Amino acid sequence: MLWLCIQLPKLSLEALTRAHRAGDTAPLAVSQSNLIIEANSAANSHNIEPGISIATACAYCPGLQLLERDSEREAQLLQQLAHWAYGFTPVVSPRASSPENKALSEGPACLFLELGGSLKAQGGLAPLLQQLGKELHKMRISHQMGLGHSPSAAHLLCQLPEHRQWLEQTKVPPSPQQWKQWISFAPSKLLDCNNKAIAKLYACGIKRVSQLLAIPLSEVGSRFGRDFIDYLARLNGSRPDPVPSYQPPPEFHSELFFPSPLDNSEQLLFPAGRLVRELCRQLQRRQLYSPALYWVLDYGSRGTEEVKVELSRPLFDPQRLIALTKLQLERVELKEPVQALALKCKQLRPLETKALREDFFEEGSGQHESYQLIDKLKARLGHQALSGITLKESYLPEQAWSSADSLTLQSKPRGHQLHPINAPRPSWLLPRPDRIQQREHKLFYDGELQLLQGPERVDGYWWQHHRHARDYYIARGSQGSLYWVFQDLTSEDWFLHGVYS
Amino acid sequence: MNNAENFMQNKQLSEQAANQPVQPLQQLLTRPDIWQLASRQQQPRTGISTGYRGLDALLANHGWPRGASTELLVDKAGIGEITLILPALAEMTRQNRMVILINPPHIPYAPALAQAGVQLEKLLLLHPRGQRDQLWAAEQALQSGACGALVSWQGKDVLADKDLRRLQLAAREGDCLHFHFRPGSSANTPSPAALRLQLHSDGEQLALQLLKQLNGKSGQRLHLARNPDLTRRDQPLH
Repeated sequence: MLWLCIQLPKLSLEALTRAHRAGDTAPLAVSQSNLIIEANSAANSHNIEPGISIATACAYCPGLQLLERDSEREAQLLQQLAHWAYGFTPVVSPRASSPENKALSEGPACLFLELGGSLKAQGGLAPLLQQLGKELHKMRISHQMGLGHSPSAAHLLCQLPEHRQWLEQTKVPPSPQQWKQWISFAPSKLLDCNNKAIAKLYACGIKRVSQLLAIPLSEVGSRFGRDFIDYLARLNGSRPDPVPSYQPPPEFHSELFFPSPLDNSEQLLFPAGRLVRELCRQLQRRQLYSPALYWVLDYGSRGTEEVKVELSRPLFDPQRLIALTKLQLERVELKEPVQALALKCKQLRPLETKALREDFFEEGSGQHESYQLIDKLKARLGHQALSGITLKESYLPEQAWSSADSLTLQSKPRGHQLHPINAPRPSWLLPRPDRIQQREHKLFYDGELQLLQGPERVDGYWWQHHRHARDYYIARGSQGSLYWVFQDLTSEDWFLHGVYS
Repeated sequence: MNNAENFMQNKQLSEQAANQPVQPLQQLLTRPDIWQLASRQQQPRTGISTGYRGLDALLANHGWPRGASTELLVDKAGIGEITLILPALAEMTRQNRMVILINPPHIPYAPALAQAGVQLEKLLLLHPRGQRDQLWAAEQALQSGACGALVSWQGKDVLADKDLRRLQLAAREGDCLHFHFRPGSSANTPSPAALRLQLHSDGEQLALQLLKQLNGKSGQRLHLARNPDLTRRDQPLH
């Protein structure tokens, strides 16, 4: 196990000022309950340090801009960073600045990354650390990194300047001895425990971790409690050190804001392409797929409009997704200029190996083209314009078939198959039986009808609301058409129900 | 020009011919829309069998023309017009290709289709609204290559020649059978379809008349009997 701890000392400030341009040099400070907790470099040059009161700070620098701390935004940024780190390794654990466990110290927020499993994929330790540093720098997030054999050790070591210096030059992970040396060399104020415990340590004259480790554990336990012993064991590596693992949410949401609103749906395609590519990258990375895309067009104060693109099978090709989106957006009439475009995928589903396998082996059978065609038709005509038909088990002719969802069309026939009734049935069924005129014991439906065959009695469903008792006949019209007609036995009326076309 | 020069020129020509195995004339003759009387017998059987031996014999490729529009001119429903194309549709679904019906006039009745051998899970019904969407859907389906056969019905609006031609081209591109049902009155207007059949009933049987056939003769008539299960007379009724 190789854990990297990325400490984010200025997260509270950066959560609020990330939108500012890089060149801004106005002195800024973040305050919470009358104390300054973070200040930017311009404010630092005016002697404004974390921990001084707002009154003192204003006295030092009258032009100081004060921002109230926003923990919610901070947590959001931390989640975003965790998501970013998830791209490097599957084991990521974010830790907020004020931990729930009171025994831990109130340090800055940090991220724990397990690197042991991804060294090979990222080309070794040094390139990986460099890449991480570069991307963090690009996001303008100040950070400190530390490596360790457990999260607790990494957290301790990332505060040790000597270790950080070594980390910048190293090419290979350190040996266990090196870690032990660093840990014992570290001053005890860096231990991850609350201020009370640290004050106690210093009162005992324990200034370095090595001094602490020299004392028998039972002695330390009686003074500092079980939790502390436990922490030391985790630091040593003699006890497993679990951290909560970050799981990215099974949904996707990304939004682009247009400084000048767009009033043409064609102009939306470019930003849409960007969002789709972002989505595809994420889906591929996480082995998920989305059954539908929701585009949200934001008209500002005039509300929003949602456009849905349905997909009949997992699709990762940005080009095709954009083509489907284009078909949908073409149909949308923009009521107002669009101020922001968002892409939402409410539920991402794991790719099933079955779905993949089907794709893989049925490449030649035109399955791909059928899916593409169905998606395209759905995108333009709406999904209600597509349907299939299936057999149903029923004696009643109008219930012997049902409309099927077009999605089930492409699946293989099930094991249990219904067999159609073995009697001549018309190829067209009328949605509702058409009444046939009756005069002098003759039937007229554009011309006189001549009964050829029959009757075939359908009787039943008396337990339902309405009894169905019918005698079906095949009849020929005056122009040679063959019809399926029936006489309702309860009312003795004649109806046309199908056409043998 | 002396003999030697002449010889040289001839040699060059024959070399050119050797370098270009496909000659323009040959290319021209392989085009499907050029009808050669002499080579008719040698043409490979490329049509899709209609399921009726008599009709197959009349058709140029011994079956429905592949990758082309077939117009069926019908005035009255119920004379056996769907029964005529059902064997071909069933064959397409058995080959695992989609069959699409665009705006059918009534409900296609599943038991009858299943009886005829159509794999229902390969059948797709489309109900586009308006003629523009209908044409768009037909063209997309025809040229997609996923669709084995497409059946469309002419609605109230008469399709322009341009649209019919586009559908015919799309059918060729996607190698799809396209059956287009139109009223009998459109027999007088020309159409780019590869095959045009006029259907009517002579009381007991379905009467076909070949109005137009690409690569083949037209004008023949054929009578196909209805399914005897339907027309067999039972004992007195009433």
